Amino acid sequence: MLVSWNWLKQYVALDMDREELENRLAMSGLNHEGTETVLDDFAVDLEVTSNRPDCLGHIGVAREIAVLYGLPLSIPTPNPQATGPNVNTGFSVTIEAPELCPRYTARIIRGVKIGESPQWMQDQLRTVFAPVNKDWNPVNNVVDITNYVLMECGQPLHAFDLGKLQGEQIIVREATDGEEFEALDHHTYKLTPGMCVIADANRPVAIAGIMGGADSEVSDGTIDILIESAAFSSMATRATSRALNLHSPSSYRFERALDPQGVEWAANRACELILEHCGGTLDDGFIDAGATTWQPAPVVMRLSQVERILGISIDADEVKRILLALGNTETESDDCSLTVTPPTWRRDLTREADLLEEIARIHGYEKIPEDVGVPMAASFRSDWDRVASKLRTTMTAMGFDESLTASVVPAAWTQTYSPWSVEAPLRTLSPMLKGADALRTSLVPSLLEVRRINQSLANPSVELFETAKIYLPADSGLPQEQWTLGITSGHGFQHLKGVIETALRSLKIDAPLTVETAEQDLLHADYCASLTLNGEHFGFLGEVNEAGLKAFSLRSPASIAEIRMDLLVQHSTLIPQHSQLSNFPAITRDLNIVLSESVRWDALEASVRSAVDAEQLEDVTYQETYRDPARDGADVKRVLFTVKLRRSDETMTSEEADGVRSEIVTAIESQLGGKLLG
Amino acid sequence: MALQEFLDQLDQLVSEAESTFNSAANTEALEEARVEFLGAKNGKLKSVQKLMGTVEKEDKPVAGKTFNQTKGRIESAFESASERIQGGSSDTERDTQFDPSLPGAGFKIGRAHPITQTIEELKDIMGRLGFSTADGPEIEDDWHNFVALNIPDDHPARDPLENFYLATAEVSTGEKTPVNLLLRSQTSTVQIRVMEKTKPPIRIISLGRVYRPDTADATHYPMFHQIEGLMIDTKVTMADLKSVLRLFATSYLGDDVTIRFRPSFFPFTEPSVEADYYWNGQWVEFGGAGMVDPNVLKAVGYDPEEVTGFAFGLGVERLCMRRHGITDIREFYKNDVRFLAQF
Repeated sequence: MLVSWNWLKQYVALDMDREELENRLAMSGLNHEGTETVLDDFAVDLEVTSNRPDCLGHIGVAREIAVLYGLPLSIPTPNPQATGPNVNTGFSVTIEAPELCPRYTARIIRGVKIGESPQWMQDQLRTVFAPVNKDWNPVNNVVDITNYVLMECGQPLHAFDLGKLQGEQIIVREATDGEEFEALDHHTYKLTPGMCVIADANRPVAIAGIMGGADSEVSDGTIDILIESAAFSSMATRATSRALNLHSPSSYRFERALDPQGVEWAANRACELILEHCGGTLDDGFIDAGATTWQPAPVVMRLSQVERILGISIDADEVKRILLALGNTETESDDCSLTVTPPTWRRDLTREADLLEEIARIHGYEKIPEDVGVPMAASFRSDWDRVASKLRTTMTAMGFDESLTASVVPAAWTQTYSPWSVEAPLRTLSPMLKGADALRTSLVPSLLEVRRINQSLANPSVELFETAKIYLPADSGLPQEQWTLGITSGHGFQHLKGVIETALRSLKIDAPLTVETAEQDLLHADYCASLTLNGEHFGFLGEVNEAGLKAFSLRSPASIAEIRMDLLVQHSTLIPQHSQLSNFPAITRDLNIVLSESVRWDALEASVRSAVDAEQLEDVTYQETYRDPARDGADVKRVLFTVKLRRSDETMTSEEADGVRSEIVTAIESQLGGKLLG
Repeated sequence: MALQEFLDQLDQLVSEAESTFNSAANTEALEEARVEFLGAKNGKLKSVQKLMGTVEKEDKPVAGKTFNQTKGRIESAFESASERIQGGSSDTERDTQFDPSLPGAGFKIGRAHPITQTIEELKDIMGRLGFSTADGPEIEDDWHNFVALNIPDDHPARDPLENFYLATAEVSTGEKTPVNLLLRSQTSTVQIRVMEKTKPPIRIISLGRVYRPDTADATHYPMFHQIEGLMIDTKVTMADLKSVLRLFATSYLGDDVTIRFRPSFFPFTEPSVEADYYWNGQWVEFGGAGMVDPNVLKAVGYDPEEVTGFAFGLGVERLCMRRHGITDIREFYKNDVRFLAQF
């Protein structure tokens, strides 16, 4: 809201320093955005929050200044002399859509002389309009006066050329579907039901509260005028304004809760100014259709609440001074409370809490201390937080950067890869980013897209992880949001599996991680697995296949993994327990086993473990696999691994270790048909 | 010779060498042990190496590999014994080819995303002030995102153009109006969820992704992160709010700062303020704050006559950008690894 410094002076004495005033306004609720010079005036830009439409006019701002500085406020009392016949005899107004327009008033002035508005008015209008509209020019005396009154009190008005209105009537109604209307800006708008129009007997002449029509505007040839002053639904005005992408100073104000008494005041003020500057005869009375039923209700302000909420005590006299200066009227009071009725222009004041805010901002927030002793309290770090933080440390230590990607992705991505859900993804009504309106059901496509972006920048190594939610449609209630760890690497399956195993170790997860073969469209038919942690489905791991690389325009190999974070939290050991360590040395034995290709390492390891007392078997470490089909035949492999043995009560001897090895060999032979080589 | 036999000999040699080296009491004894095991001509290792020739050809790779490991282990056992005796390196020969200025054998280290780093720091600071972290869903219903937060039906904040509503499938039962779901536009939703199931006193922060339909440019992105604090108790005042924000800003910036309140308007707080901190000679916007509106307290079943509280909310991206000199918010979500490596 731009206010003119000279204009404000009409209502309150501005003897203070301008910059000091701007600062005080900012500190009391009208944020100062800047000031510029317009001719010999200043245009002061104040930000007005949506709850304060009273400050969308100069009088409201002047009132704030008067309250802050304890100055008298002088507001004109318009009293136009009506010498014409009763206005209701020759013209009528009908409201057919009261939910869109609760009240509509009209006054008629006949025989005006259209010309220029007075210079002082043009100057003040220029100050408030020109800075935002370089092409701004005064229109004519009547139109300038309606704009002047709008900027004076915040109540929008519209002046029609009465001669252009057909049928001696105004009908306020809902627009019909597809109805077309040419507005003052000479654009034609296509209207829809739900929008409110002002119509004469035959056609719409204004989009209610937003803009008048081109063919009923006041022009040089105008003789008689009708001044509209009305109340329109703020929701409907906002919706219409948005839908048509048509915004005006008028619509901006109607979108807010305006002073219901402003309707009459503004009409009278405009008529008075028109009679003074344009001549003519004012018809007697108002055409007044509908009614605004809203009335301010008394609010009790308990003085004890000041300290309870604000944390400072304020004198009862000061509390009263502030509330009354703002226009509240005292209806009742005693030692502990004050009952006031808020002014009609402050529809935001309906509760004690609202009054408290008024007291605080006028009294000054700087008086609230910033060094009170807030009691101490224990805070708790959740297991989730601890796991996520540890996981991040491990992932970065392994050389992975953390990425953050958008939760909403192109729908096509969710078709490319969605291992967690076969349901169609949730969609947003409007896309978040270009083409992206599907809530992701996997982090993998986002991570592959990041690979692509980095590839385009010729970044050689792209090792990334992200911890974020994926959104899985649910049958009822809120969708399931699954915290997920996604990883992508330029290395292969084995590497990425090692990353996951290391992450599990860092979280001290003892629950067994197992792999099952899996098929995923995006992943290599062999180098792909579904992961299970402690028997529960845990995630997927695999190398991206040719089609997958192509789908994301990737030139180099990539692997991906995606796992559930809830299982990490569930199985992590956040407070590890000490166990007594043996003081005797370990002894190792290497074994080279020949066995069928079909036997997986996990089976071999299980067989080893089954043969040895767990107390003595410290570790089974895989070393290598060799193949020699010429000697061993087809589908046979040689697996070399090491067992580490240790006793807790004495040093394990070489002979004992050999004995253990024999038992292992026997177990492997009987369980898996494998043989010790050599 | 069978491979296994060979491997066993190696195993045995390691144990033997380790115990001999470890029991050497002085330089002379250690040297004697060195010759015994590592002697170039008749050392035991050398003798075992010769046996490798008798291992089957196909077993050679395994035998060779294991032999090399064994050699390494014996050598390092000698090194450590030598260091033990001499109290330092036994190296007497000079290595004229050694260049200490060559880069070390490096490790690639990854980085946590700058937004995460900022969030972790904010959580940490607020944790020290007694605020625990609370989490909640990103997909929310009308009640938690609006109604309970005192945002009525006709409020512009509920406009479809201001929110990412979800396209809901037609409900076949059709008994009730289907619940409107949307991506939360603020993390205050979490405060409602916590208050609904917890009795005061409450001291929490909620953090996470929030969504608003802004066109992406240097200072806007339709997805960003918020941190919101909430404190509810029997005697919480605006002075507590100012004091907590001052401690918060002081901890974050590392030096004493002062806090200023400017009046503002939010449906869920009354009074509502914008909080600024004074830093490097100027006032910097910190975030929105205020005393929890009595309607919000009532909505979650609290009695506004019994308890009061404050709430505040800060944009994580803005704090992070200011701290690290980042000028374009879109950088955060592009994930150029060179960008990530800067933090």
